[in-house]
Amino acid sequence: MSATAVKTAKDFLKQDPKPGVTLCSLIAGKKLPNAVIRETKQAIAAARKFNEEVVEPRALELDLKKMEDPDYLPWDLVEEANRRGFFTYFEPKIFGGKGVNLPAMSYFCEELASKCVGIANVVAVHYLGVATLVATWNVRLMNELMRDAAEGERLGEPRIMSMAITEPAVGTDVCEMKLLNKSDAAFRIDRVDGGYLVNGMKHFISNGHFSKWQIVFGYEDLERPAESVVILAIKSGTKGFSLGRQERKMGQKACPASELLFDDCFVPDDYVCYSPDQASRLRRPIIESNQQLVDYLSTASRPGVASFATGVARGAYEVALEFARDTEVAGKPLIDHEWAQMLLADMYTNVVMARLTYQEGNYANGLYGMFKLLQAKPIFYATKYTPKPVLDLFMSPILNMPLSTWMFRTLNFDLWKKEHQCIVDGYTSIAKIGATDLGLKNCQLALQLMGQAGLRHDGKAEKHLRDSKLLQIYEGPNEINKLIVFKSMISNLVPNTCMFDE
Amino acid sequence: MCASVNQELQMLDSMAKEFAESELVPGREEFDDFPFSPLFDGALKKANEVGFFSLMLPEDMGGANRSMKALCTVLYETCRADASLGGVIFTNALAQEVMINAGASDMIPSPEEAGGNPRKALLAFAPFDNPVETENRARAKAVDGEHFLDGDVEYVMLGGLAERALVAATMEGQEGISFFLTDVGLPEVRVSEPVISLGLHACPAVDIRFRGARATLIGEAGEGGLYLSQAADRLSVACAAMSSGIMLGSFLTALDYARGRTQGGRLILEWSKMRMSLADIAIKMKCADLIVDTAGTSVDEAESGWQQASRAAALHVCPIACDVANEGIQLLGGNGYMHEYGQEKRFRDAQTVQSLLGMLPLRKLAYLNMVLEAGKY
Ligand SMILES: Cc1cc2nc3c(=O)[nH]c(=O)nc-3n(C[C@H](O)[C@H](O)[C@H](O)COP(=O)(O)OP(=O)(O)OC[C@H]3O[C@@H](n4cnc5c(N)ncnc54)[C@H](O)[C@@H]3O)c2cc1C
Repeated sequence: MSATAVKTAKDFLKQDPKPGVTLCSLIAGKKLPNAVIRETKQAIAAARKFNEEVVEPRALELDLKKMEDPDYLPWDLVEEANRRGFFTYFEPKIFGGKGVNLPAMSYFCEELASKCVGIANVVAVHYLGVATLVATWNVRLMNELMRDAAEGERLGEPRIMSMAITEPAVGTDVCEMKLLNKSDAAFRIDRVDGGYLVNGMKHFISNGHFSKWQIVFGYEDLERPAESVVILAIKSGTKGFSLGRQERKMGQKACPASELLFDDCFVPDDYVCYSPDQASRLRRPIIESNQQLVDYLSTASRPGVASFATGVARGAYEVALEFARDTEVAGKPLIDHEWAQMLLADMYTNVVMARLTYQEGNYANGLYGMFKLLQAKPIFYATKYTPKPVLDLFMSPILNMPLSTWMFRTLNFDLWKKEHQCIVDGYTSIAKIGATDLGLKNCQLALQLMGQAGLRHDGKAEKHLRDSKLLQIYEGPNEINKLIVFKSMISNLVPNTCMFDE
Repeated sequence: MCASVNQELQMLDSMAKEFAESELVPGREEFDDFPFSPLFDGALKKANEVGFFSLMLPEDMGGANRSMKALCTVLYETCRADASLGGVIFTNALAQEVMINAGASDMIPSPEEAGGNPRKALLAFAPFDNPVETENRARAKAVDGEHFLDGDVEYVMLGGLAERALVAATMEGQEGISFFLTDVGLPEVRVSEPVISLGLHACPAVDIRFRGARATLIGEAGEGGLYLSQAADRLSVACAAMSSGIMLGSFLTALDYARGRTQGGRLILEWSKMRMSLADIAIKMKCADLIVDTAGTSVDEAESGWQQASRAAALHVCPIACDVANEGIQLLGGNGYMHEYGQEKRFRDAQTVQSLLGMLPLRKLAYLNMVLEAGKY
């Protein structure tokens, strides 16, 4: 267009940032089914009830118990969450779950985390396993494992999942295929007759000691790990698989971070969620499909971490508010001091800002990411109002057919537009970075306000601080998330930008 | 530590560093498990032997009559290794300072009286609180020329360790607060189990309940606020030195880790963002050192405005140390969050040191009052 040509509105809207990026929530909001609001309120109420009856009475005592005995495992919590149906609450109804909409999980997690992030993680990290499984779009295994969780609920024996991608030498690198190919990956998964043989160690695996299913990443070719990703569902008790130690963490003590050890562990073909062979049947080059898979999983889970951060920011704010209300300083209630009022207002603002980030991440997910299909109104209402036995009877056999996996994979891998992938990636990383920084900030502010009361374990604020720090690290440290923001939101504006290779 | 160390300070610095390397570093993670593992009695005994608990006492009391910079040097080196011992040294020095200001130095246990027993050498004190502003103080009444304490005092550091405690109380019919020295072993004194706290685990705190416990008034009744404020003027810079030491420990551990950890096919030290973070820490550390040095000199030389220099040093450096220690964890990724790498402990300790001498916002406001009163900006 020449400099003198008159620009139309359309021309202006073609400029960056495009409305698809900036109006994400505006567009997504009107597409959401109304029942989402009702379900979200129910999820919040369920979380608050759990907080009142279980989390609040247990959080501090459990934290102490773990200080005294780092190997202690609070099984009773897992059993209680199972009894309350939390491990199938957000699983789609067609897979045997209760089908509460996925964005509601963020509000649910915020509630739990406002009282104890560690306990929130015990409940929610099962969904990291679920998200990983979903990211493979292996519909038969999604159906089998989610239904197993439902069966575990019926029998009163938790059958939850963990996600195991991190290994001692490979942390940040797993997030980006270009880095992964240069990494020191050592977790080998070798093709053998009828399945795979697994060797190596995973570490830092949340809930590893509690989970029945480990959704494990490994590589057929350690020289080219990014092109040879294998994902297996490995059942506890499988020969060659054992649990190592639990880490001694600063916080989030309720949730074990486990070592998983594999020594010639054979996994049959039936439990291969994703493999290079399967990836080769997708339209894109394998390395791109593998990046899509990792992006699906992390874009689904990052708003979850942001919701934990919102919760901890809120927990710190609530404790500080209580303190300011009940404490006299220099002859008058602390809450009557103007500086304290503003500090509390800052903390409140931080909570809201953190919440906005996960909401935006969820909107992006609903429009362009993993949640899109389930939130489409026809599918949402069809699954919501079709009686469960009907779904079980008719849907389950269909889901077990290879055709279903083919269809889901075509839709979600082959037809996932690059620009959509970027928006979801960008917004969810922004949520992760923004909310977790605010979460920690609020805990620090609480400690400043509370002085010595904030330092005491029984004052609650110090636990929030310890818990909050981890949020800046897991699900990819905030640094790699910043690189993801650059990659997905900025680098396309500057062609030929070189990344991950200085 | 200090940018302009003299020979005497250099010797002290080497001695403190050696002490920290041999007595603190090897057991640091285990010491930090207190009260779920034993207290570091050996380290306390040695610290007492080398004079860390009597650094600031006059020579005629068997002390070293050292300067504030000497105390800062020792705190810096110990906190670099394990801030818990720094907490012990600081708490004790603060209590001693209050007693000196009250003209009661003769009641401070001398090294000779202590006879090598740290429990006798140390004084318990509540260093996180300014009892003038909060209600954390006992009630005292005088009966026939003797004083008796009632009520609760929270978070008394070294309370389960030292034989004697210096506590604040309000005297019946008297404005202001007063300080009392009391024997923690009296039957009228109930000491709680160690208070589980964020940091400085091996510098244990307890809550104390008094039920008519005999105590000795220190200095003038009602003047406790002044004694404490004067002590805080001097010892604020010592908090900054503690924070500085924690920063150095955090930096060295992160640097060491970055030199050995590979991601993306290269040492993480080679990623420019990592270098930027380390640079930020190094700059903050250097500035903190300069501030501590200048403020320490100012205190020692009683330069005009030394009180402001000392207080501003703590108010500026301590929060920075919290950020540095946070970044110190981040640079190690998941390992930074784990007990055995020491970074998470530094993060907790830095946050704890920040609260010494009272709530940070109130100390800031007090600082402004000081500036306005002095009329010097
Ligand atoms: C308690 C806990 C629970 C966890 N739960 C799980 C789980 O359930 N499942 C699972 O698979 N994993 C889990 N993790 C792993 C977690 O996601 C990783 O710890 C995280 O991704 C960081 O990896 P790392 O610890 O190896 O750090 P590293 O990757 O070694 O990072 C160290 C430092 O180097 C920086 N760095 C690395 N690469 C670069 C680069 N290219 N450019 C600039 N800086 C860089 C990092 O930002 C960081 O500051 C958990 C971790 C913890 C601590």
